[in-house]
Amino acid sequence: MDALTRARWPLLALAAAGALLVGVAVGAVPLPLAAIAAALFRNAGPDAAIIRDLRVPRVLLGFLVGGSLSVSGAILQALIRNPLADPYILGLSGGAAVGAVAAIALGLASAWALPVAALAGGLLTLALVYRLSLADRRRMDPHTLLLAGVITNAFTGAVLAAVLSLSDAARLRNAFLWLLGGLSGASWEAVGALALYALPPLVLLLWNARWFDLLVLGEDTARHLGADPERLKRLAYFATGLIAAATVATCGMIGFVGLIVPHVIRRLWGPLHRPLLPAAFLLGGAFLVMADALARSVARPIELPVGVVTALLGVPLFAVLLRRSLS
Amino acid sequence: MSGSRLPLRWFLAGLLLAACARPSNQPAAALRVVDDAGDTVGLAGPAHRVVSLIPATTELLFALGAGDQVVGRTVWCDYPPAAQAVANVGDGLAPNLEAVLARQPDLVLLYRSPHDADAAARLHQLGIPALQLTVDRLADVPRLARLLGPLLGRVQSADSLARWFDSALAAVSEPAPTRRPKVFILAWDQPPMTIGAGSFLSELITRAGGENLFADLPAPSGNVSIEAVAKRDPDLIFTQASETPTFAKRPEWRSVRAVREAHFLSITSSAFSRPGPRAPEAIRELHAALVPWMR
Amino acid sequence: MRLFAQHLTVRYSRLGAPALEDVSLSLGLGELVALVGPNGSGKTTLLRALLGTVPLESGRVEIAQRALAAWPSRELARMVGVVPQREDLLFPLRVRETVALGRYAHLGPLAAEGEVDRRVVAEAMRRCDLEQLSERKTDTLSSGEWQRTRIARALAQEPKILMLDEPTAALDVRHEMEVFELVRRLVDEGLAGLIVTHHLNLAARYADRVVLLSRGRIAGEGTPSTVLRRDVVAGVFDWPVAVTAWSDGSPQVVPLRPREVGAGGPDAR
Repeated sequence: MDALTRARWPLLALAAAGALLVGVAVGAVPLPLAAIAAALFRNAGPDAAIIRDLRVPRVLLGFLVGGSLSVSGAILQALIRNPLADPYILGLSGGAAVGAVAAIALGLASAWALPVAALAGGLLTLALVYRLSLADRRRMDPHTLLLAGVITNAFTGAVLAAVLSLSDAARLRNAFLWLLGGLSGASWEAVGALALYALPPLVLLLWNARWFDLLVLGEDTARHLGADPERLKRLAYFATGLIAAATVATCGMIGFVGLIVPHVIRRLWGPLHRPLLPAAFLLGGAFLVMADALARSVARPIELPVGVVTALLGVPLFAVLLRRSLS
Repeated sequence: MSGSRLPLRWFLAGLLLAACARPSNQPAAALRVVDDAGDTVGLAGPAHRVVSLIPATTELLFALGAGDQVVGRTVWCDYPPAAQAVANVGDGLAPNLEAVLARQPDLVLLYRSPHDADAAARLHQLGIPALQLTVDRLADVPRLARLLGPLLGRVQSADSLARWFDSALAAVSEPAPTRRPKVFILAWDQPPMTIGAGSFLSELITRAGGENLFADLPAPSGNVSIEAVAKRDPDLIFTQASETPTFAKRPEWRSVRAVREAHFLSITSSAFSRPGPRAPEAIRELHAALVPWMR
Repeated sequence: MRLFAQHLTVRYSRLGAPALEDVSLSLGLGELVALVGPNGSGKTTLLRALLGTVPLESGRVEIAQRALAAWPSRELARMVGVVPQREDLLFPLRVRETVALGRYAHLGPLAAEGEVDRRVVAEAMRRCDLEQLSERKTDTLSSGEWQRTRIARALAQEPKILMLDEPTAALDVRHEMEVFELVRRLVDEGLAGLIVTHHLNLAARYADRVVLLSRGRIAGEGTPSTVLRRDVVAGVFDWPVAVTAWSDGSPQVVPLRPREVGAGGPDAR
């Protein structure tokens, strides 16, 4: 083991803590560190409300979203045995988008209409794609699952395009802005809601991490080694689906994190899921928080879409890692 | 006489050049004008069948008294009420050319954008004069009045409209306020989007005595952090929602004082989104809403 | 401890012919049974039926006097170690980590790897001659090394029964012999072994019993000499053969060229 590999867990913990600190220290409004400390520890200072009610929940939300999406991506890559899987591949994003757009088109008035409709759309699609994926004897077939997800995404994409061209374009175009993903809707309530939906599935996945090492070998081999593939597939599907639906409902679709972070972790920790899942959670969380901090501060007071920053940051980092592991 | 031959040769050469310069319309154009895309467009005489694909110019044409000459409008052209009796040819951006041509226009007015550059080129090829116009700012109203006046045979009413407009603007901006209330223009709430200094709405607010909270925004519009809004502490929030805005109930907006104290300015009239003859009236309305904040 | 399979019938599609028809089998500790037969005769189906991965139309399987259906997967994995024919290698592991996967049935989801587990893994690797390859990534192994790794993984499960599906299909002579020697040694040390193979001659030399399948039914069952007779083999495989005796007494099947048919060559039976 070289030095970098030996120090990987402490480095990761440091990165996560560092990201949280940077996220709170940086923002659209430049604030001196003393003011931030005063706001955090003594709830004092004119900007205390901004720090406590806007920045801190936003950083926590970003960490939770980035971490859950990374774990979700890793599990889906094991479920459909395809390294290109990401949390939105099974069609949920399309369903959530249709839900959100329907809410706007119907002019639903509630402040929570958009997230609730997106969640409902996502969950409905989850059920639909599951039903489609059942092969003979009610067993979930991963190849059929992937296909069902892809066609569902295509179908919902077409529905959205049709709705967009037929309706009040301005309002609906703005709906797409929301779907592009961003943490601007962060509040303590949002953090609580996401934790409620995302933490139980995460815990279940972490609990069963070992079994996913067997699932990647193929279902028969997994069974011979003591796993229960049908139970695992169902767990993987519904847990990742719930996480994806909840994150889309809270902050739209943030791409790239769920796809790439698992691969980065595999290069540094190997593919066994017991270390992979917690490490992916920490790295994904840190990464998204940093990307969001950058998105908020690089062109202040304008905020860049966070999905753009994750791609711009992530691709070069991944390229560096790729070259290092090939040498 | 040699003197008279020279002008003839130059005249013929000039005609030849003019004929080659634009592969477009009328052989003998009595009216020439350069549109906002830099193209020179010519008409044989004043237009009597105008299709206006811009709601702002539809208003302008009616204000010039040329309403009878308008034979086509977009689905968004709803003012003045008389305009709704004119045939609807659909959307203004990326227009339906078949519907436009069915009106047999002798002049088409398009909004200058990449969507409409193609449509304009097609219309030129078909021999129909098409003008691409930028209608974004207050200054565009008198400018376009003067540009379109001759093309409609309404030179005098165009001139008087332009003069009226300029003086109405000057009048409504008097007197200069002692304090300019800070107005946050909320174009959309999830994610929060605002409008920068270069836009029509921002101009209206400035003329009415207020100050756009994000006048320093480098782009015409953009997403901003709620943090920045909270820090800048606007007096009023301008929205185009029709009733109490729903975003106000979301917890992350509570850190903005204007949201907590429910200081919203809710304006739905289309006069606020189209640079047109109703602008002075819109500014007066805004001014009245801002006066309590000027102390 | 015996494995009993009685009157197994498996049908993949409701209208077609059964993949297995009325097949019975028994296997005990210290016995190596070779399952042979032409392609499509039902060898892999029988293996699947014995492991419960394919539903039975009729018949029953019993392991250690307990019906197969009563064995939960984790417990079954501690009793039966399987080396399947095909396996995905999506995210390569190190050899040691691969062998350690065999311990999951013992560890369950949460327990940490202990001294016992490490010892069992080391022992399994030793028996399969993998000590030098411990830290190699599995995508850099040769077919023989990969096969031995998978056998070691099955051994790490500490099973009583070892089942191998065509373990030498892509191996050269040396590696093939190594695998058969290893399996024989393991059976002699006390395991029950079931090996599905194309290699009639090695089956004849290594196995205690041979089960010959033809079109889903048993065409012969017993010692190699009893089963691998010229007329039986030629009939099942639909190709003329000659059968000779090797120095250890086992029958060796020699497929004949068309011009050799009837022209002689040693005829053992």
